[in-house]
Amino acid sequence: MTAVLIARNTYREATRDRVLGGMTLAGIVFLLVVQALTPLALGEGRKLTVDLGLSAISVLGLLVVLLVGTSLVAKEIERRTIFSLLARPIARPMYLIGKWAGLAGAVWTIAVVLAVAQWVLLAVRGQGGGGASLLQATYLAGLELSVITALAVMFSALSTPVLSALYTLGCYCVGQWCYDLRAFAAEFPPALRGMAEILANLAPNLPLFNMRGLASDGLTTSGVHLAMATGYAALYCGCVLALAAAAFESRDFK
Amino acid sequence: MQSSIARLPKRPFSGHASSDGDRLDRSLAVCTRGLTKLYRNPWTLKVSRGVEDLSLDVLRGEVMGFLGPNGAGKTTTLKMLVGLHKPTRGRAWLLGKPIEDPASREKLGFLPEQPYFYDYLSGPEYLELAGQLSGLGAHEARQRGRRWLGRVGLGAHPTLRLRKYSKGMLQRLGIAAALIHDPELLILDEPMSGLDPFGRRDVRELILEQRERGTTVLFSSHILPDVEILCDRVAIVLEGSLHRIATVGQLVQDSPQRIEIRCSGVPDLQAPASFAGGLARLTRPHETVFVLEEEQRLHEVLGWLLSTGADIRAVTPQRVTLEELFMATAEGATPKAEPERRSA
Repeated sequence: MTAVLIARNTYREATRDRVLGGMTLAGIVFLLVVQALTPLALGEGRKLTVDLGLSAISVLGLLVVLLVGTSLVAKEIERRTIFSLLARPIARPMYLIGKWAGLAGAVWTIAVVLAVAQWVLLAVRGQGGGGASLLQATYLAGLELSVITALAVMFSALSTPVLSALYTLGCYCVGQWCYDLRAFAAEFPPALRGMAEILANLAPNLPLFNMRGLASDGLTTSGVHLAMATGYAALYCGCVLALAAAAFESRDFK
Repeated sequence: MQSSIARLPKRPFSGHASSDGDRLDRSLAVCTRGLTKLYRNPWTLKVSRGVEDLSLDVLRGEVMGFLGPNGAGKTTTLKMLVGLHKPTRGRAWLLGKPIEDPASREKLGFLPEQPYFYDYLSGPEYLELAGQLSGLGAHEARQRGRRWLGRVGLGAHPTLRLRKYSKGMLQRLGIAAALIHDPELLILDEPMSGLDPFGRRDVRELILEQRERGTTVLFSSHILPDVEILCDRVAIVLEGSLHRIATVGQLVQDSPQRIEIRCSGVPDLQAPASFAGGLARLTRPHETVFVLEEEQRLHEVLGWLLSTGADIRAVTPQRVTLEELFMATAEGATPKAEPERRSA
């Protein structure tokens, strides 16, 4: 219950922040600009809209996580607003879960709003088919952003906003290229190879959530893929938040 | 005269005679046993002491003042009690529950020093959130929030965002948030700081009202006249250790009594050497004042004054104020005679 209250308040904080509104507006403007460019795409206008639209969801969502999420807990500690919360009957892990859920809710909102805007634009142009693939791709993008949000909350609970943003961005980059990193690792000397493999295994497997290529062709993915991605995201977020809670539990607030 | 404060135990002090060892007395509102907080610098590994071996009992329904100079460990102690700092050693219980258990804070109201709140919320929104987090239902929290906002004098600004609140308004809101769920225990860290005289009066009245309700109040303050008015007992913390705990009356009673003798008609009269510093002379317009440090020599001094033909207008016992006692404790010295003191 307390986690829900904190999540609701965090969601309210994020939605009253200009960053979220600004990013959503930027996404919609971007989609409109893409529409203006579709005549140059030689009949691939739908593909361009979906591909760039889904990319916009990921990039703008990531920006929100970096700008809001990485200071989410650190700002509360710095401004001492956390004192009035944790002096109430709230377990610290519940506080972190609430913070994560609230911000994840906010980035899901961006994802859904931009996906709906995309679908409306396609429908206006008579290319509204393939809604299922757009829905699936948006769902996976939301899961990806939830995983990144969990990392941001963990770093924010343990570090300064700037360092948290750098760590989160680093994890995002390593996660996006984790398959390449594994492939490169095979070329490294044994000692470095082990380290690179560990890094690739610890980083979130973000390509799992990427179905932009399929969606831009109007194709759907399998239920197994969706279930695996959901399970992986839940497990990864759970592990990250558990680690964050363990470290946060012994933290003193000055 | 040797002050009773100068004879204080140098080692940490237990505030309740019935408590010993790690035994918990469930009739206590706050109970700490050997509570210690040490800070280690992660780079130099140097350890500094926040609080050491603090054993303190606060009875249910009492108002206890927590006094000490800056850096004595008051805020550290309060933060450990409310779960914001983890003790290095020792244990503590709030209303019979160990502080490690979040349930110990169900009936707790806490006001931090210089409180800050979510500046994107309005006063009613914040109080509703605070109430719900302390276990109230949404409807009840909303109703109580509105009531408390009016009670602390902020009812005229229901839609104002907290970023536009003044320091005093935030302090009042913090008090409302601490009280919204009718706590059994109130822990207030410098509740009067940042408030104008009207605000201080209002907070004093709120604390007295809570005492009437049977709420236990533990608060730290530097405003000693307020402590003197409000507290049943005071605990004095110095350098991270509890040095003394007593009722205000006891503290004052144990302190040396001084007597002020006001007389006229003898403008040039000087105290004889036989009184050797025990009798200070002050000159005021139209009268001469003698301050006698040793009560036992009153008859002797009065006899001498009458023999000089002085017109004795008043003999007034003086008591040391809590502020003077506190300063003397902090400095490890007997309170010095001041020219002006409050009458007993």
